[in-house]
Amino acid sequence: MEYEPVIGIEIHVELKTKSKMFSSAPCTFGEAPNSQTVPFDLAMPGTMPVVNQEAVIYGIKICSAMHMNIARTLYFDRKNYFYPDLPKGYQITQQFHPIGTKGYVELVIDGKTIKVGVDNAHLEEDTAKQVHLSDVSLLNFNRCGTPLLEIVSDPDMHTGQEAMKYVETIREIVTYLGCSDGKMENGSMRCDINISLRPKGSTTLGTKSECKNLNTIANIGSAVDYEIKRQTEILESGGSVDQETRRWDEALKRTVLMRKKTNAIDYKYFREPNIVPIDLDEGFIYDAVHSMNKLPNQYRVEFRQLGLTDYQIEELLSDREFVLVFEDCIKLGVKSPEILWNFLMVEILGYLNKNEQTLQDLKFSRDALVSLVNIVHAGKINSRQAKEVLAIMLEEGADPVKIIKDKGLEQVSDTGAIENFVDEVLACNAQSIADYQKGKDRALGYLVGQVLKASHGKANPTLAKELILKKIRPCGSNK
Amino acid sequence: MLVKGEVSATQLVEECIALVETDKCNSFEAMCFEDARKEASKITKVEEDEFLKGIPYFAKDNYSTKGVETTASSNILNGYVPTYDATVVSKLRRAGMIQVGHTTMDELAMGGTGTTGHKGNTTNPYDRERIIGGSSCGSAAALAQGIAPFALGSDTGDSVRKPASYAGLVGLKPTWGRISRFGLFPFAPSMDTVGFFTRNVLDASYVLSTLSGHDNHDMSSSARKKEKYQEYVLKHKSLKKVGYFKAVMDGIIDPVIKKAFVNLLEEMKKKGYEVIEYDFKEELLDALYPTYMIISCAEAGSNNANLDGVRFGPSAMNNPQTYKEYMTDCRTRGFSDLIKRRFVIGSFALLAENQPEMFNRAQKARRLIVNALNEFFDSIDYLISPSAFSIPKKIKDLSTAWSTHPDFLDNILTIGNFGGYPSITLPLCFDQGMPIGVNITGRCFEDGHVLACAQDVEEITNLHDLVTEVK
Repeated sequence: MEYEPVIGIEIHVELKTKSKMFSSAPCTFGEAPNSQTVPFDLAMPGTMPVVNQEAVIYGIKICSAMHMNIARTLYFDRKNYFYPDLPKGYQITQQFHPIGTKGYVELVIDGKTIKVGVDNAHLEEDTAKQVHLSDVSLLNFNRCGTPLLEIVSDPDMHTGQEAMKYVETIREIVTYLGCSDGKMENGSMRCDINISLRPKGSTTLGTKSECKNLNTIANIGSAVDYEIKRQTEILESGGSVDQETRRWDEALKRTVLMRKKTNAIDYKYFREPNIVPIDLDEGFIYDAVHSMNKLPNQYRVEFRQLGLTDYQIEELLSDREFVLVFEDCIKLGVKSPEILWNFLMVEILGYLNKNEQTLQDLKFSRDALVSLVNIVHAGKINSRQAKEVLAIMLEEGADPVKIIKDKGLEQVSDTGAIENFVDEVLACNAQSIADYQKGKDRALGYLVGQVLKASHGKANPTLAKELILKKIRPCGSNK
Repeated sequence: MLVKGEVSATQLVEECIALVETDKCNSFEAMCFEDARKEASKITKVEEDEFLKGIPYFAKDNYSTKGVETTASSNILNGYVPTYDATVVSKLRRAGMIQVGHTTMDELAMGGTGTTGHKGNTTNPYDRERIIGGSSCGSAAALAQGIAPFALGSDTGDSVRKPASYAGLVGLKPTWGRISRFGLFPFAPSMDTVGFFTRNVLDASYVLSTLSGHDNHDMSSSARKKEKYQEYVLKHKSLKKVGYFKAVMDGIIDPVIKKAFVNLLEEMKKKGYEVIEYDFKEELLDALYPTYMIISCAEAGSNNANLDGVRFGPSAMNNPQTYKEYMTDCRTRGFSDLIKRRFVIGSFALLAENQPEMFNRAQKARRLIVNALNEFFDSIDYLISPSAFSIPKKIKDLSTAWSTHPDFLDNILTIGNFGGYPSITLPLCFDQGMPIGVNITGRCFEDGHVLACAQDVEEITNLHDLVTEVK
């Protein structure tokens, strides 16, 4: 029998707010354990939750980017269970009325666009971090209360590639909006993947496994592919898939069992009585939606119009900081997006990586970069010289015009000056002239090269070529 | 006297501390005498409009007070010293009031007898064989003994108004949301209200003016403008339509209480009140108790899930091997059986399979009751009723068994909590030497009118500033 895999994904996105979801403690990382807490984070008796407005705004932006319906009234509920990392004995979440419902994201795979439904997105709070040592477990409440937006997809995906693309797309959205770091490797974005198989053509869902501990996008693809294979083998050998939670083992390159889901825990959900329903007025939602950063798909359209290739676009989009510089330079009147892309994504990126720096460390302004690109575009210096200038700009930050002048790099485009070089070269290269006249085109290139050499690289090659041709073209020839 | 300099804050605090030592009713938990003395010594001058400055008070043991052990009279919080002040505690401090210590209560504010706290029975100063009612038992007992003129209580069902009734005091439960609950250990947040005891209505109005207002730490605290509630009392700004439930009147069996209540209504008529008999559906009154129990227990179980011994409170014993064993040990030893029973009921009502039939139905019943009350308040300004229908029970006659046919009269005051209404109890009469109170409940945020009406009642009964010698 042929099986169809069905995949649904839950993503917890840590929101990059200044303070926690329900308390005034700062959301900072890497501080001394338990230093980033207020009494509420430790569930001291009598403390009460206060909803973080910034988290609500971030929630609205992300939901809006996923084409969701935004709730007009916010409600919060309690999810009750005992665990050491859950100080209150319940998590405040949005079980019954999520901030966002029924939306979708568009994935582009091999040039084809597919839609994946997003069932809901709800605001909640993160738990504390547990550190298990040999004989004790330690608790760090710094993370406790960090705002999370849990994004629940519809079971619309069918391959590991689609799952990867979905997570990548969500990651792009939340990072471009500036709402999250979206770093899977350090947990600011965490994915749980539900996978089940069903006979092709069937509309009911099979028993699913849930896969956790996926800290790279590549792992998602591997885990999904592995699970599809594992479940297919079980079904084909006449067995049945158990409902269980599994985890991706990076070393073994396979999923391993964490726990069987026997009796699901009853979380005894009910409305959080300390948070009265919050009406979001239209103005508030409007402001949130209209202060959204541009999303990757909007950039894709714009950059395509500028003539960038798909490869160039995707390379650029992989870092929003570079996108912003690129966009600024376009606004500042750059004449060649292509040359700009090359400088940014080859020279500058290479330099920054080598020196472990970021765009913030650049020593020159965007105007300077634009000016350099336009000088090259106008043919005033050649690309080799441009690299030289850019290297100096990266090291010292001087103005490109000044560098060119100081170094005397400006191409000689004065016909008279070049003509002198041409005459000089032609006078001592009779053989090459003869070769060219016999039809050896290569000889022309050699002559131009000699002119450049004679001018110490300053002669405009196009002009030099024209002049040479004028002088050595056989009479009556069309060449 | 403070204003004129005839007495100093230090003298008042010293007198209060001395009186604490004479307490005969088991009224107190942790005390903070030294802090109180320090605060008092800082007060040298009191202005005319600083009504509360320099006056000693007590807080029920469920108000988080920085540096003062706060246990909600439960073993599970023994030794817990909060690191922050409840909003009301800071507001009182800013107003110059001096906290002298904490008072006993029914464990975690669950209970109405004053006998379930970890320090044992708190008794009624008017007759120490009898209960004073709860859960704010210690605050009521302290005031009735004249140890301080004001004490904080908290009111989820009738936990301020019932003991006020049994102790001859004024007990005010303001509108839900009028006073910040930040720092009040929660029992059932949808009904929990900061309440307090005074010995006359005017004092209560001054305190309310001080404590009311929005607080950024409590999203449920109202942003409505603060008012000068004493103006309502001093200028007799009462509304004039007062109603009672026919079923309640018919239910009063005790002849002394009946006579006093009927007399009061007659006297109110003479003061220009229109007194209206109202037919409130008895089935809704019968629903009060089960509705209250389901909602309050459900919320309580969740609110107290933080008491697991992991971050504060006594640690586990018996060498636990897992977090489950650790928490189970702490909670098993920390809570009394009565508390566990409530948690079990609450948890049971919230289970997915029971929730529609129990918790959701209780919420619906609550809505129906409140809708019916709002209808009452559409045409009538106040609901009046005795706060108790018999004198308090003797401690030896108490039973922890649950009655299968609860009398709605015993739970009539929960009405105030279901709808969040302002509700005040003040002395009505004495019956066999025991005080009995009368209760007035009004529309939400009409706390001022409720106080004004109470002032009129106080002038009729002439029962105020009552203190008793403990025999």
